[in-house]
Amino acid sequence: MKDESLDHIEVTNSAGKLAKKFLHNPLTLVLAIFILALGLVALQMMPREENPRIDISAGSIIIPAPGLTPEEVKKIITEPLEKKLREISGVEHIYSMSMPNMALVNVVYYIGENREISNLKLYDKIMQNMDEMPKNVMQPIIKPFDIDNSIPIVNIVFYQKNNKLPYNKFLTYIEHTQLNISAIKNVSKTALKGERKEQYNVDIDINKLAGYNLSLGQVVGGIQSIAARTPNVNAKTKENELVIMSIKSALESVKDVENIIVAQYMGSTIYLKDIATVTDGIEVQKKQSAQIILKDGTVYDQITLEISKLAGTNAVHVSNEIKEYLQENAKELEKFGIAYKISRDYGVRADVAVDELVHHIVITIAIIFIMLIVFLGWRESLIVTFTIPAILAITLFIAYVSDQTINRITLFAFLLSLGLLVDAAIIVIENIHRHLHDDESEHQSMDELLIKATDETGGPTNVATLAIVLTMVPMIFVGGMMGSFMKPIPLNVPVALIASLFVAYIFVPYLSKKLLKKEVNTSNTHTEGES
Amino acid sequence: MSSHEQNNKFETFIYKILENRFKKFLVIFLVALSFFGSIMMIPNKTVLVRMLPSKSANTFNVYIDTLIGSSIEETKAVTECVTSIIQKEKEVTDIESYFAEGSPLDYAGLVKGSALKDGEQYAEIVVNLTDLHERKEKSFDIVHRLRPVIQENCEPLTKATSIRMIEMPAGPPMLASIVVELFGENNKKLIDLSKEVASILDITDGLVDIDIMADHSYEEYQIKLNTEKVTRSGLDVTQINNIIYLAFQGVNVAVKSSMSSNNQIPIYVQLSEDSQTLDDNTLENLQLKLSSLKLMNKQGMMIPLTEVATIKKTKSDPMIYHKDLKNMVNVTAETDMVSQVYPLLAARDTMIEFFSYEFEVTEQLGLSTYMFDLKLKDKQTGENYLIRWDGEMKVSLDTFRDLGTAFIAALMLIFIVFVIYYQSFTISSIILGGSFLSIIGVIVGHWIADMFTVGTFFLTATSLIGFISLMGISSRNSLLMVDFTKSLIEDKGIEKRRAIAVASATRAKPIMLTAIAIILGSALLTSDPVFGGLGVALISGTVAAVIISLIFIPVLMDNTKAI
Repeated sequence: MKDESLDHIEVTNSAGKLAKKFLHNPLTLVLAIFILALGLVALQMMPREENPRIDISAGSIIIPAPGLTPEEVKKIITEPLEKKLREISGVEHIYSMSMPNMALVNVVYYIGENREISNLKLYDKIMQNMDEMPKNVMQPIIKPFDIDNSIPIVNIVFYQKNNKLPYNKFLTYIEHTQLNISAIKNVSKTALKGERKEQYNVDIDINKLAGYNLSLGQVVGGIQSIAARTPNVNAKTKENELVIMSIKSALESVKDVENIIVAQYMGSTIYLKDIATVTDGIEVQKKQSAQIILKDGTVYDQITLEISKLAGTNAVHVSNEIKEYLQENAKELEKFGIAYKISRDYGVRADVAVDELVHHIVITIAIIFIMLIVFLGWRESLIVTFTIPAILAITLFIAYVSDQTINRITLFAFLLSLGLLVDAAIIVIENIHRHLHDDESEHQSMDELLIKATDETGGPTNVATLAIVLTMVPMIFVGGMMGSFMKPIPLNVPVALIASLFVAYIFVPYLSKKLLKKEVNTSNTHTEGES
Repeated sequence: MSSHEQNNKFETFIYKILENRFKKFLVIFLVALSFFGSIMMIPNKTVLVRMLPSKSANTFNVYIDTLIGSSIEETKAVTECVTSIIQKEKEVTDIESYFAEGSPLDYAGLVKGSALKDGEQYAEIVVNLTDLHERKEKSFDIVHRLRPVIQENCEPLTKATSIRMIEMPAGPPMLASIVVELFGENNKKLIDLSKEVASILDITDGLVDIDIMADHSYEEYQIKLNTEKVTRSGLDVTQINNIIYLAFQGVNVAVKSSMSSNNQIPIYVQLSEDSQTLDDNTLENLQLKLSSLKLMNKQGMMIPLTEVATIKKTKSDPMIYHKDLKNMVNVTAETDMVSQVYPLLAARDTMIEFFSYEFEVTEQLGLSTYMFDLKLKDKQTGENYLIRWDGEMKVSLDTFRDLGTAFIAALMLIFIVFVIYYQSFTISSIILGGSFLSIIGVIVGHWIADMFTVGTFFLTATSLIGFISLMGISSRNSLLMVDFTKSLIEDKGIEKRRAIAVASATRAKPIMLTAIAIILGSALLTSDPVFGGLGVALISGTVAAVIISLIFIPVLMDNTKAI
């Protein structure tokens, strides 16, 4: 029956209406708890990243053209190809390099173009024009650029402290680790850097070759004739039973390779070992390699394992699971003398960013709380302080539902709105406070006073908040890299501001009713305004 | 009731100003003076502008490019020189070096072409530092200090080596702070021009890591086959090509696929180290080496390679770059702890002067994001060239253009909202105009902050965002004032001047409270290198906004007939 008693109070705008509706509603408290819970869920569930995702679509086309000079490559490959690529919509720039023996063309789309569609368009354009490919040119290699796969979130540097394992065993162990880490949930691409695969190196001595009067071609032919491998051969018996024969490979070890007969010379047999040294080694032709220099100045050859995550997943979780795996296998690694160092961990960096946000919010809330105690009293201060987590909870939840991630710039957006979002609550509470200490309101009921006070500030507060929202919204239309980068600001600040209005109109009068009391102060003789 | 006394005092203070014509004029004059004074601080360079300041990080990279055609050993020597210098730093925890390829990709490497690196002339170093919270020196200070030492000591080791120090970007990654794109038909001339541009950038203050993104031509030996001799001696060209490749580069001729290990192990054949290595880089030596390489013809006879081929020393053809179908050569430079705006303008002035001897230089007219471009016309040949400024400057201009346009659109929308609410153009203009004046506080705040910081405190993109949000905050203050005054006049019939004074006195408290909340809320931001601009803008802008709303707006309100 209480609700009916509010009906006679006239309200002029949405602020008053909201205050009136929720003032006696028992669900208001439930709503408050519900909002805070949603915020907590969002904070836990939202994927965390260090930098906001920028949709960069691009691709490279590599066309090997053996024997052509840069000028020729430009005339017959690059220029016709560039003209064709110009036909694709959404392409911002085309860069090309006409090199000796090769053409490289990079296509860069406008920021924000859909990546899958852009990649398809590129493939489509090349495939459609395959018939116009010049002669003497090899098949083009198309490499679409994938930002999520390209930028690893965790890098692990592996090195051997005392070279206990032969390099091949070391590499095999790391490849095994790589496979296990690839199996972790939400890990997308894993790759090794600085690794060299096992291979048998045959180093031919040119003088010995000349001594036996052999040519290089003969040696190669000799090796190739032995290294063949065939699949299993099936035969049948009279009773239709299957007999399977497998031809055993002739080369099982370095010894086998050394003993390949290369030629007969003056009646004696020449083995490969006579003219060359054969070693079970690593790729010597690969120039790529990597090192790590530790604090104490020791230098080790290293292999870096790069791990990327799937788009829209939580960097913190992925990185934690990787670290857990490494912890579990620490003993085994130790046993083999393999040391590792995590040289990049975006999971930790994302976590630090979020923790910093929470830390900031807590300090700011405390400061505002103390300030309001001084100016308004501790009960009023408590009310305003409650609104901050409520507003942030709503904003976080909406960000979570709209598929955003918590990153450096979302943090920035929250920090920016932190100073703004208490305004509405402060204005409402100040007005309530003023009326409570006012003689004019003596004959008003508490309910009427609260609703009237909220209603009074509603108009200008709504318009002013609308004005701030309007200044933020156009930032969505800022294009380019910078625009995408700061997109979380126009996406989140307006939401926080609008949420701050609702929270101020609904919860501030409600909590004021619970916490504040009308001041019975007859000695107050001050009247406002003298006519 | 001290607050009431204060209210009374403030009320009288405002009322006295409103009563006195001279005092009112003084208020307007002072506001106008400080407005123009603060705006002048930008062209005056009292307050410096920059897109985004540097950000302290836990890591930085060093890119090493030796001349194309350098061997991995030469590149490694330069890298070792660099690491030996970095190693001595006490804040360095470890150093990773990657040879002949890029380091694991990051935001900066993404646009700097790190992923495309493949060749013996490349090396990248990743330097990991101690945690930034526990370290006194900022990472950009370390880079700033080490850069000259490293470049001086290590660049001379091999010819035309470039060593660049790459910091983690605070904002979106860019190719470089300053990118000069040279367009023109004549590729050779473009490369010459690029060298001149590079040397101008080199002498410009504040620019470092200058790099020409064009091929240097290097010496190579051409083996020319005499086709007649080849055919007569019973050989064929493919066979010769294959053998030369096999001898010096090596080839996987077969794989060992054993039962014992599941891997296929390639069998790789090449000449042994001793047999491959030349004594020195001369034609005679190469000839000698190649003569010992013998080929077997169809008849089983051994024929030395030099019998059928001649060797000539030539220069390699440089690579041809295109951007959007036009010939282009890039020159890039990084800024060292300074904004890119001022060195760019300085370098541009030098270029206009320098190129005037040889070319007719015309400047791009009008306002566009390419407004710094220069057109060159060769006085003798009449060939046209274009010097275009790209990189951070272009991105900044694009962003400011978009942000500015959006901002103007927002102002018009806000104005319409106010007009609808108040049904008056004058009141709406007063509020909007008043809120724009918070820029005084923003600029002065940066000036003061600059005096208290060790380096330069730049007016950045984040300051601009702070200013934009201040517009709203400040208009809220004025709105509440106007609203309260109107209701005092209409509901209680108080005389206008008194009503204004009462309104500013009563509104002073909530305005101060919200202002203090913003100031305290942003106080923690100011220490952040990136968001510091925003913090300072919010704090100082709010102070200005409070003064404007409480003193300047009442004066304007008193002068208008709309209330």
